[in-house]
Formats: sequence, C-alpha cells, structure tokens
Amino acid sequence: MTQQGSPIRIAGDTHVGKVRTMNEDALILEPRLGLYAVLDGMGGANAGDVASQLARDAIRDFVLQRRAALAPKALLEAALVAGSTAVFTAAQQHRERHGMGTTAVVCLVVDPKHVVIAHVGDSRAYLLREGRLQTLTRDHTIVEDLVERGLLAPEEAERHPYKNVLSRNLGARAEARVDLLELELRPGDRVLLCSDGLYGYASAEAIQYLLGSGDAPEHVTRDLIEIALRGGGGDNVSALVIEAPAAAPSSTQVVRTSGAVTWWQHRQRFLQVASDGGLARNPIVRGLPAQEAIELVALSLCQAIYHDLEKSTGVNVWTFAQNLAAGWFERGGDWNAVRGIVDILGGAARAVVDDIRARDAKLGFLLDVAVSRALIVVELALGGLLAERLRQIDSDLIELHGAALDTVEHDTLETVEPLESGERSIERPGERPSERSIERPGERPSERSIDRFIDRPTIPFLRPERPVTSSGESSEVLGAIAKAITIARGRLSPRAELVAQILVALETVATDSGGNFAAAVLAARELYGVRSVDNAGVMPLFDAFDKARIVAASSVHQVRASPAIRVRVLRALSLAHQRLVAAATGLVLEAVVPFGERLREVQVVTGELREAVARAEQRRADLERKFATIVDPSLPWGARGSTEW
Amino acid sequence: MSTVPTLARSYEALRPKVLQRLLELRSTLDPSLGRLDDATARAQIGAVLDHLGNFIATGDLGLHRAFLHTFLAMRAAEAQSPASVLAMLVAIGDTAAQVAQEEAAGTPDGAELTLLLTRVTASTARGVNDLIAEELGRRVAQRTELTKRAREGKR
Repeated sequence: MTQQGSPIRIAGDTHVGKVRTMNEDALILEPRLGLYAVLDGMGGANAGDVASQLARDAIRDFVLQRRAALAPKALLEAALVAGSTAVFTAAQQHRERHGMGTTAVVCLVVDPKHVVIAHVGDSRAYLLREGRLQTLTRDHTIVEDLVERGLLAPEEAERHPYKNVLSRNLGARAEARVDLLELELRPGDRVLLCSDGLYGYASAEAIQYLLGSGDAPEHVTRDLIEIALRGGGGDNVSALVIEAPAAAPSSTQVVRTSGAVTWWQHRQRFLQVASDGGLARNPIVRGLPAQEAIELVALSLCQAIYHDLEKSTGVNVWTFAQNLAAGWFERGGDWNAVRGIVDILGGAARAVVDDIRARDAKLGFLLDVAVSRALIVVELALGGLLAERLRQIDSDLIELHGAALDTVEHDTLETVEPLESGERSIERPGERPSERSIERPGERPSERSIDRFIDRPTIPFLRPERPVTSSGESSEVLGAIAKAITIARGRLSPRAELVAQILVALETVATDSGGNFAAAVLAARELYGVRSVDNAGVMPLFDAFDKARIVAASSVHQVRASPAIRVRVLRALSLAHQRLVAAATGLVLEAVVPFGERLREVQVVTGELREAVARAEQRRADLERKFATIVDPSLPWGARGSTEW
Repeated sequence: MSTVPTLARSYEALRPKVLQRLLELRSTLDPSLGRLDDATARAQIGAVLDHLGNFIATGDLGLHRAFLHTFLAMRAAEAQSPASVLAMLVAIGDTAAQVAQEEAAGTPDGAELTLLLTRVTASTARGVNDLIAEELGRRVAQRTELTKRAREGKR
C-alpha cells in the first residue's frame, strides 16, 4: 500500500508469514491525518487480530476527532491510551478474548520536517540517516527492562527464555504507559515502523542495506518483507517506510544521472540525423563506407558527450574535436570541411535534445544547456588548433619574408633611396603605414613606379623603406628605440625594478641583429629568474610586462623623430614585447610540466582506488547473493548466526 | 510571441552582477582577463556584455560577427592570441549563463536566459573560429605566394 501526493513518501505492507495462518498485525496509513502505525496483536482464539484492529480504529478515530484540540505529543499519547482502553474494554466484555492485547508503534507527521513517534510493546521504529541505521524505540519486554536496570547483560538478553514477553502492551489495562519521541527529519531520512516479524527474521544489516538502497519506499517495503520471509517468516511481518523529502538534486546531478543515460538512449536518433545531414559525404570521411563514417565520427562524438555528461567534464569532447580536426589539417585539409562536419554533428545533437525536451521539458532543458556547452568545448578545441596553425604560418611568413628581403635588398638597394629634405611620407586615412608611398617634390603620383611585390608585405613591421642594417632596422630607428627606452626608464619609480629590467630586455630584443626568438628567450630566462609558480607566482611578471609596454609606447611619442620613425620604433617595440611575453609564457609552461606529471600520477592512484572500491562492491553483491541462497529459511535470523554478513 | 524582449530585459537586470562576478573572478576564469588592470578589464568585459545584450535583443548575426571581428582585431593589436580571445569570450558568456542560472533559478525566464546565453556563447565561439579560419586562409595564401616568389627569386 502506497500513499502518494504528499511531499513525504510512505509505503506500508503486511504479510501473514510462512508459519502463521492468520495475520494479527494491522497498519494505519492515513495521509490526511499524517498518521501511520504498525500494530502487532496477541492473544489466543482469534483475539490477536481483534486487538490490533480495535486499537487501530480507536487510535485513528481519536486522532481524527481531537487533532485540533491537542498538541501532537499529547494527542498521540492520548490516542494510544484510547486504543488501550478500547482493547481492554472489549476483552472485559468477551470472555474468550480475555488477555488479548497489541503492540503499537505510531508516527504522527506534524509537517514534512517534524514527526512524533509513540510506542508501546516491542514493535519498533528505526531511523536511517545518511546511510546509518539507528533504533528509535526500546522494546517494552521484561528482558529489556532487566537490561535497562542493569540486572541482565545485553548479550544474555538475546538468549533469555522470556525475551519476547512484553512488559507493556495496549489492552492489558485500561490505561497505558506510552513512550514518546519527537524527531526533526532531515532531507532523505527514512523512518521504518515494523513488527517483530521483521526484525526477528531479518538482520539489522539487511534492514540497513535495503532502507539505504535508494529504492522507492514501496519497493523497500516489499523487499523487507521478502527478506524476512526468506529468513524464516515465522511470524506476521509488517513494515511501513516513511521517507522525508530528499534535497532537490542539483542540475549537475540530474544531468550526470538521468541526462547522460537519456542522451545515450537517443544515440540512434543522433546517428540518423547526422547521416541525413550528409555526414558521410563530408571530405573528412571521404573514402570510408557511409556506415563506417557515421560510426567513426558521429558515434564517437555521441559517446564523448555521454561520458562528459556522466562525469561533468569536457575532456572527451575536447579530445574528439582535436583528433578530428588535427588529423584533417595534417592531411592538408581545409577549414570548411571541419566547419561542415561540426555543424552536422551540432544539428544532430540539437535534434536529439529537441526530442528529449518534447517528452521531458525539464530534463530536456538541462540537456540543452549541457549539450550546448559540449559544442562550445568543440569550438574551443578547434580554436586552439586554428590559433596554433596561425602561429606556425606567421612563423613561416616571417622566415619567408626575411629571405625575400635579402633578395630584394640585394636587387633593389640602389633604387631605394633615403628620404631627403623636402620628401615626406604620405599618410592616407585607412591606409596601412606599409602601403604609404614617398612623395617627391615635382613628381606626380601617377609617375611613381608601380609598387613591387615587396612594397605590399605580409608582415608590415619587416618592411624596409630605408637602407637597413643587419638587424633589419635603420640606425636612425635603433637610435630612436634606445632613446624611447631611456625616456621610459626615466619615468619609472625607483621601486619598479622589474619593469625597468623588462624595458632593458625590450631594447635588447628590439635591436637584436639575429631577428629571431633567441634574444627574447634569453631575456625572458633572465627575467623569469628564480621565480616559480609555487612561490612568487608569475602574475607580477606579466603585470610588469604590460606596464613596460604601456610606458614604452607612451615614451616613443617623446622621442624627437619623424612620425615614420616613431611608427617603426613602435612596431619594433611591439614585436619585441610579443616575443618576450611568448618566451616567458613558454618558460611558465615548462615550469608547470612537473605538476602535470604529478597530477597524472594522482589520477593513476585514484583510478586504482576506484577499482578497489568496485571490487569491494562486487564482493558485497556476491555475499548478498550467497546469503540469499545458503541459509536455512526455516530458522529465524537471530537463531542461526548470520556470519555471512 | 517571442520571449526575447523579456529575456533581454532580464539580461539587462543581471548585467551589473555579471560584470561584478567577472571582475572578481577574472584571474581564475581566464589568464588574459587576469592580466588586465581593473579599468581595462572593466572596459573590455563591459564592451562584451553590452554587445551580448544587443545580440540577445536583436539576434542580428551580422552585427555579432562584426563585433567579434573588431574585438579580435583590437585584442590582436594588444598582442593577445586568437585562442586567448576565444577563451576570454567563452569565459564571459559562461559566467553570464552561470549568474543567470543562480540568480533566477527555478523561474522560467531564468532557465530560458541561461539557455540563451549558453547558445549565444556557442555562437560566439563558432563566429570567432570562422574569423580565425578566414585569417588563416589569407595567410596561407600569402605564404604560398611568398614561397613561389622565393623560388622564382632563386632561379
């Protein structure tokens, strides 16, 4: 029997057992009153069931009638007394029912976080909180009373011949002494009310395991009774589970559990949409059979998304995108094919999410966000590759342009004359400095020779407009660089030592005759010095890089030189700054490598621990199965020594 | 009826909190943001957040692309690599979505705004990559041209 519609979930059931012919247990399941109980009747000649039912009805009626008038504890106590009176009176009126009585464990749910529990006899209330089981009630038996008074050792109580003889019950007298307990429920708490037919035939470990299984209360109730029956079922068995509302699972938890599974269940739809979108015709998978192409690409991404959803990471999707695009680029492939395939896969992912949203709006929404994030991860991975390729191409261009310069310098040096008095560099709006031409007095623009290839360079900062030194810059520019750095250093406060060092390094790199990264790397090493990522940190260095850039750039305008020279100085310093920062970044990356290795080691250890836990779980499952098959079901739990647990 | 104007209003209401969060967390969110001083970071992040608001309101992909183009160019002039610009834009979008999720959790508008911001971020990442790829295409062509001329020069 299950009660729905309440924030608290409740389920209860009772079974006659394997030995008895009549069920003398009774349940109260009254959600509108918040009243739940297990009663275990006793007494010969069909009186046990009468007692439990009489008490049940009396308790329920009392609560129904007096709930507005009495406080919860007083209400419950008075209700049990009313139950006792009802049974006692009936026993007095019918000679054959003389001596009948019943236990009762009753729970009144005051609100979803607050319950009151009352009990008389040896029916019990348990609380499962955060996986741990505790008994809330103390059995009202003679033996327990002796133990409580210190007259009997607890271990002797288990073997005592009168261990089942009650010291209190409802019906023995018109009055009853009731034990009461108030309890604040926490999210996910489970309270179990049960008769001795349960705990007498199922071990505490089994009860704890089943209560903590996370299964719905109705399944837990069913399983508890089942295990008591397997344990012998020598008595009527009753169990009633009250579950406090669980804390709402976070979005992440929902995605990790049901989201991931739902996604994977829709993989065929994903593959179908990808196939319909023409994935197999994409150049990246050209030559592969269509089915193989779909599986290789679409199924791989589908799996990657599933694993990332399950673990709330992006590493699988990232790896997928990297592998897909890097392999293609290495084969000389173009971006359009990558964009095409990513769009097809993105479309398939959205189609799946739309399907899920149509069936389950909330889960669909969460998956929509999660899958959109996965697609962002794809773009981030691709962006990294593109940027890296861009950097490589730039490097090639610098080299090629340097080679071209040598040729052009050799061939045309005599045709490129220094600016003379009266000449000026022409600056037009929107025109790059490199495209500016030299206007000579008396010469019409149309008379100027057509720009050669070298006058439209790819890398503007390498373009010569003057005779160059071996460093690629004129002595005039080199002098201006030195002046700018001197001015910049003069503007620094004496405490800004790091910025001052960077300015010196900038000058060194900007005027380096080698024209490569060597000077930048050497300067960066000097700046990096004894710094390491775990003490001073690298941010002060990078902050100083920025300050040096700003102060150097602003100092260039104070140098007495033509605008063209200042532009060249700015470019030279800008390039030097880029190289210096890049070199310093490289050093930082080198410095963190050991930490990455240590992290990988920790990951290995974590993996081993996970495996050990999995093995332990497997062993527990094996033991449970073994337990279920090897025990003698005719014996109660307490009598056979449940060592298997 | 479209809910976008409503969402645009919701976003505008959240924008100061998003900016504040980004300024507080910028060092941990993204190295390129972390390196900026307060005023520069406020200006750069503010520009992106302003644009996000416009994009949410208009849904104009052309304007979005134009913004990204300019933003990439400006950051490149400051020696930021395209990859770090992409990471920065994603970090900003992601944080905006996170703030929307936290601030308006449980409301339909909050959920929709979170989703919209996530999709806008995806669209931004896509746009940035396309722009980088275009630039890459141009430079590859230049390399080919230079290589060819270098060979011709040798001959």
